[in-house]
Amino acid sequence: MEGGMENASLELDDIQAGALFERPSPYVGTYLLLRIADRADGRELVRRLHRLAIPASGAGSADDTSITVAFTYRGLEALGVPQTSLDSFAPEFKQGMAARAEILGDTGESGPDHWEKPLGTAEVHVAVAVLSSDEATLQAVAERARDAHAELPGVDLIWRQDCYQLATGRTSFGFKDGIGQPAVEGSGRPPSNPRERPLRAGEIILGYPDETGELPPMPTPPELGRNGTYVVFRKLHTKVAAYRSYLRDRATTRAERDLLAAKMVGRWQSGAPLAVSPDADDPELGSDPRRNNDFLYADDPSGFKCPVGAHARRANPRDALDGEGSVDVRLHRMVRRGTSYGPMLPDGVTEDDGVDRGIIFVFAGAHLKRQFEFVKTQWLNDGIFIGAPLESDPLVGPHHDSTRFTIARRPIRRRLQDLPPFVITRGGEYCFAPGLSALRWLADLDT
Amino acid sequence: MGGRGGAATQPGIRVGPTSEFSLFFRVKAGQAQPLRAALLALQDTPGYRPGDYGMAIQTIHEARFVLFDDDTRLAFITSFDGPWDAYMEDFFTSGPTLALFDVIFGHVEGYDGLPDVAAVRAFVLGAEQTAAAYARNYGGTVKEIRTAQRVNAAFQQVLDHPEAAEALQHPALQPLLDEAAV
Ligand code: HEM
Repeated sequence: MEGGMENASLELDDIQAGALFERPSPYVGTYLLLRIADRADGRELVRRLHRLAIPASGAGSADDTSITVAFTYRGLEALGVPQTSLDSFAPEFKQGMAARAEILGDTGESGPDHWEKPLGTAEVHVAVAVLSSDEATLQAVAERARDAHAELPGVDLIWRQDCYQLATGRTSFGFKDGIGQPAVEGSGRPPSNPRERPLRAGEIILGYPDETGELPPMPTPPELGRNGTYVVFRKLHTKVAAYRSYLRDRATTRAERDLLAAKMVGRWQSGAPLAVSPDADDPELGSDPRRNNDFLYADDPSGFKCPVGAHARRANPRDALDGEGSVDVRLHRMVRRGTSYGPMLPDGVTEDDGVDRGIIFVFAGAHLKRQFEFVKTQWLNDGIFIGAPLESDPLVGPHHDSTRFTIARRPIRRRLQDLPPFVITRGGEYCFAPGLSALRWLADLDT
Repeated sequence: MGGRGGAATQPGIRVGPTSEFSLFFRVKAGQAQPLRAALLALQDTPGYRPGDYGMAIQTIHEARFVLFDDDTRLAFITSFDGPWDAYMEDFFTSGPTLALFDVIFGHVEGYDGLPDVAAVRAFVLGAEQTAAAYARNYGGTVKEIRTAQRVNAAFQQVLDHPEAAEALQHPALQPLLDEAAV
């Protein structure tokens, strides 16, 4: 186990920081989407962004600012990446998220027809995330990022989304998020869950062996693929008022409501895991990074502490499925970099105020299909794996057909019926975040 | 017949939560006898023993190996819960399937053995044939069926209690009473 950590030598100088490390909280940020109308200007943009991008080896201090740069398939095409190289990318990346909508459960209100423009269109080429510890620094750096495309008439800013993370780490439904993350071999960061062996680096970063012992399919040439990672971003609107009303109508006391809410997530609002603190919130536990991810589920197969259908348990069942012989949970992990957008709905309000608020969900990993798409389709949208095909994720499932949620409880289980959708997809895209030298390779293309 | 939403991309037909999955191989020359012996030995392992219902892969409904065409061909036919495409990598990297592969598939053509996962994957994909027709006579996943059996056993135990008829009089128990006569 320890040996693996030493053997793997991740090229931290060449990997974009955002792929591996969370920014210190709190922060404010902006997502920018750009369209490349002119190839030469596009390459000049990449040259300038390359100077601003930050390697994983330089990450970590609270006051710095991080810029992460990623491209869609259309973006790489617009930069003039040769077709043989374009063809070497993952098929899902080539198709783009909108083309995968049916599979992902993004239909109806969440369907690409309803997406916020220009999300899901061929216009989206470059995605830039700028995160900073305070508003003033953010503005200064966003200015620099804007300068990177100003005076470049062949590059258009087509979308901008401000985001932030509260000091508490809480997002719109009131829960602390971003706790459950896999440790990555060679990253130099210890696991937040000491019971789990760090993932082979190739699960997250391209160019290294993954959990199957092989090199994951990597875009060619290696100058482009190596030290890159696939990035998924999704703008997810959260129906906070509907969520609160639903819970209010099913609970007689505040304590009961908080318990139902915690059962749906698998953690209390503070982040304290139900697996460790099943009966009451424990804010100290929730905010203690040495303890708030230190747990497994095998001692609770029926889910009396944490329901088998709770969001976090579905999204990472840890050891709960180890005895089934058909699934290797380590093949379905992901790095998450979610942030909040829109103002929080004030406490206690259960009337919809019509304001758009939610999460910019960000995934980083080497395998779009067996990581992001698998978790979304098999574990969140579908309940076959927990023996409840009719139950999708109570919090984030698409809930097209009336869905229900079963909470194991003695003497009689509790079952919530008719869960409406609480999360609506506003759009998103599959991107590729290259390594730093690959950014230079892109800037220097002469096709 | 057919799958649920989003199942269109996978090989194998789905009925409800369950997918059919069939592989057809050519037996290596001279390997028919050792293969029969290996299958006989498999039949005597936990999960495959007659009367034993605990297969190592818990999402599988049933599995059979069929030698045909004078033992020159081998079919592996099964049904399992979930789209098989999504679980392919898991099958190829997790213990029980791989163990099985090494014992049985070493006797058929095209299997070059582990640990080359990409090769194993190509080998399996090359052998897979989607059914032309597929039906099931009951719904439900293996997990649901196991639960249903457990619940029925408990119900039968309740009915065997001398005061069962009286106990089942409560209006809340009417659906159970309706099932109690036979
Ligand atoms: C608006 C939508 C979503 C909300 C509000 C949400 C909220 C949360 C919360 C509160 C947690 C528990 C805190 C933690 O462990 O970090 C969590 C965990 C997690 N979520 Fe989500 N989530 C959303 C969408 C998604 C989606 C779409 C995916 C994947 C496709 C996902 C994957 C995960 C994973 C992998 C974990 C960590 C589980 C663990 O390691 O224990 N989430 N989420």
